[in-house]
Amino acid sequence: MVQLRPRASRAPSSAEAMVDEGQPASEEEEAEHGLLLGQPSSGAAAEPLEEDEEGDDEFDDEAPEELTFASAQAEAREEERRVRETVRRDKTLLKEKRKRREELFIEQKKRKLLPDTILEKLTTASQTNVKKSPGKVKEVNLQKKNEDREKGNDSKKVKVQKVQSVSQNKSYLAVRLKDQDLRDSRQQAAQAFIHNSLYGPGTNRTTVSKFLSLANKRLPVKKAAVQFLNNAWGIQKKQNAKRFKRRWMVRKMKTKK
Amino acid sequence: MGEFKVHRVRFFNYVPSGIRCVAYNNQSNRLAVSRTDGTVEVYNLSANYFQEKFFPGHESRATEALCWAEGQRLFSAGLNGEIMEYDLQALNIKYAVDAFGGPIWSMAASPSGSQLLVGCEDGSVKLFQITPDKIQFERNFDRQKSRILSLSWHPSGTHIAAGSIDYISVFDVKSGSAVHKMIVDRQYMGVSKRKCIVWGVAFLSDGTVISVDSAGKVQFWDSATGTLVNSHLIANADVQSIAVAEQEDSFVVGTAEGTVFHFQLVPVTSNSSEKQWVRTKPFQHHTHDVRTVAHSPTALISGGTDTHLVIRPLMEKVEVKNYDAALRKITFPHRRLISCSKKRQLLLFQFAHHLELWRLGSTVATGKNGDTLPLSKNADHLLHLKTKGPENIICSCISPCGSWIAYSTVSRFFLYRLNYEHDNISLKRVSKMPPFLRSALQILFSEDSTKLFVASNQGALHIVQLSGGSFKHLHAFQPQSGTVEAMCLLAVSSDGNWLAASGTSAGVHVYNVKQLKLHCTVPAYNFPVTAMAIAPNTNNLVIAHSDQQVFEYSIPDKQYTDWSRTVQKQGFHHLWLQRDTPITHISFHPKRPMHILLHDAYMFCIIDKSLPLPNDRTLLYNPFPPTNESDVVRRRTAHAFKISKIYKPLLFMDLLDERTLVAVERPLDDIIAQLPPPIKKKKFGT
Repeated sequence: MVQLRPRASRAPSSAEAMVDEGQPASEEEEAEHGLLLGQPSSGAAAEPLEEDEEGDDEFDDEAPEELTFASAQAEAREEERRVRETVRRDKTLLKEKRKRREELFIEQKKRKLLPDTILEKLTTASQTNVKKSPGKVKEVNLQKKNEDREKGNDSKKVKVQKVQSVSQNKSYLAVRLKDQDLRDSRQQAAQAFIHNSLYGPGTNRTTVSKFLSLANKRLPVKKAAVQFLNNAWGIQKKQNAKRFKRRWMVRKMKTKK
Repeated sequence: MGEFKVHRVRFFNYVPSGIRCVAYNNQSNRLAVSRTDGTVEVYNLSANYFQEKFFPGHESRATEALCWAEGQRLFSAGLNGEIMEYDLQALNIKYAVDAFGGPIWSMAASPSGSQLLVGCEDGSVKLFQITPDKIQFERNFDRQKSRILSLSWHPSGTHIAAGSIDYISVFDVKSGSAVHKMIVDRQYMGVSKRKCIVWGVAFLSDGTVISVDSAGKVQFWDSATGTLVNSHLIANADVQSIAVAEQEDSFVVGTAEGTVFHFQLVPVTSNSSEKQWVRTKPFQHHTHDVRTVAHSPTALISGGTDTHLVIRPLMEKVEVKNYDAALRKITFPHRRLISCSKKRQLLLFQFAHHLELWRLGSTVATGKNGDTLPLSKNADHLLHLKTKGPENIICSCISPCGSWIAYSTVSRFFLYRLNYEHDNISLKRVSKMPPFLRSALQILFSEDSTKLFVASNQGALHIVQLSGGSFKHLHAFQPQSGTVEAMCLLAVSSDGNWLAASGTSAGVHVYNVKQLKLHCTVPAYNFPVTAMAIAPNTNNLVIAHSDQQVFEYSIPDKQYTDWSRTVQKQGFHHLWLQRDTPITHISFHPKRPMHILLHDAYMFCIIDKSLPLPNDRTLLYNPFPPTNESDVVRRRTAHAFKISKIYKPLLFMDLLDERTLVAVERPLDDIIAQLPPPIKKKKFGT
């Protein structure tokens, strides 16, 4: 076990020491303390600082200033008002900042989305589609649901990827990215299933060259395998060697000159 | 014929994508094939197995199921969760409906053709009603625990069998509830750790459900009681596909080892009425997984990861035993993927998502016939141009002068201008393409590279004037009468006056470019056009069809030429008509107007119109005439068709100048070397 150095505890003991010194506090400070009840910790922290200053003044052997209660009260009220005003100003500043930020975000989002005309066309087109085929065409149902969900999710991030029109132009279509990701992952899972069942572990597969070389092995005059050389061996080594050779040649040329 | 130096090009790294689904349509004898990159091709089996339409693929589209519905409507469903209908007239996708069940694994059309059943990732089976212009969701069946990987309707339309992981469910269509749940045994090579995936189910009219699963078993279940009747262990690997004939007396299964098995309903003894299912024929035409099979009335069709489409006619079903009953293996594309700029000796290769531009190498050596000359300058890979977006490239072209490259995807058209300084090349894209140029089926530049001809899939033909770095739309020829078909081919004459366009059922139209009007129409022929070209001086249009007929039509005279009439009267040599692969390119010699150079995947031929035509008794494939034979013998055996099979498989062959040919080969081994891993085979002695 590591022996921990006894750490000097911070506020309580020093506050006690300061409080002892700060007994002859003026009325002003008491009034301040009374008003600053909402911030007790700052009061406790503020105490030692103020006490230090007071401590310096004390060495001058002067009598403390005399103030009337009314003036002290007025001053205290002024202080309070100033404090309140600064707080209010800060709050309004923050609010304005926040508002500006929100507007900026909305503008950026608007810039990202398609122009209103095209969105209108899409929504009207889907609605007319629904009107045209009253039967249970599942595709159109989902398209409408999609539109509703899209409109509802406008505040969240709805990205429009490839566009291919539903209207007469027939050049773009709006697709939800989330659906596309799901579809891609399912397609990949399906392809992985097929690959595993046909070429995965447990299947008895061999390379094409070995397969074609079987006939060569049984000939009366045995021939070599179909792919006798493995050109894919040591590609990195060969590339490094080529590069080194080129550089060596260049160096040789330079030294010769 | 003359002496030529031949550039043998083998650096076109063409790898087709594997076949994922196949659907056979009985009424029109057409086969729809979908590949792993999303391309859907339609083959016309009665037009000599020619690929007459195709829909380009898309990166996000992984088709898992393909089916025909009534009225020749083609639907596909894939892992992106959408059901797509293809418009076979306009060659685009009509619409895509999301099924909201996650990735779709299987799809089946009802026997009446008016309903569509879809099996999804979340275990739900959804029923859709096919309306005249769209499909409408009807209802969901009971949701199952795991993904529905295969579906099959009972021929009466009352019950459905759905295969999933480790079990098969039988549903009642009216109520939508699962009637039976049959558990499939997991045992695989003695180990039962891996889940048993039921890759295919088939429902017969007597209530038997046939299932094929990943443990290598073919099992027969009784759907009335929900019990296993019979089980055959046929492979050490997965059995991945099953297809039943219409008469329900035979079915075919495909395994992951590349073997296709034929099962037939045979009487137990020769005169008993009791029948049983017996495995009759194994076929090993594939090296990799056979992921899909189909059963037409006379043939077994299979396709898989090794990219071949194999059509095996059944001998007992074929009436006339002629060359039609032979095995057909479709490996190489039926259209041209390479264009050539003769002036600068450049080749443009079209891949699914990028284009490559190469400059041919050169040699200064000379040699005798048959020598291989060493290259003094290697071929240069000048440009690798990737397309933006997930769509596949439909067509591409480079201008003869080499300064323009144009290519088109379904939604956009790209035009680039190339600048050459010394050995460097710089590319600049021409922006702001007009919207009518999207989705071009064929692009062609005129000989002087000032005009661009674009055939769009709406049937319109656009002429664009190119000058400097900009373009100007000159004229658009509207579609003529007759339905628009795919495989629109264009040919332009070398003087720039005439433009020929095939692609409608009314025949080949010839337009006058200078006066911007229709000049004449070559009479329609019932087989599709596979290649077309206009001869330089005589302006004769040479057309090759998918049944290996070659016609020559004189454009100024507006009638077939005399040579063409004599050929038609005599008929082609029977070996010529029995060739498997269509002619994909025709070109001409600038100084020899009597020569036509054409090629298909396994031969190239120079037709000399001045020599006599061969009749059925002469040898068609003339070996190289030995020089020590007498002149008389040589003259007797000489005929118009000079065929060479030295360079094969050929993807492209053209005449660069008077003494040079370029032949782009694609050896099959190079394609196979880049395919996914196959199942291991244990052979004795290795």
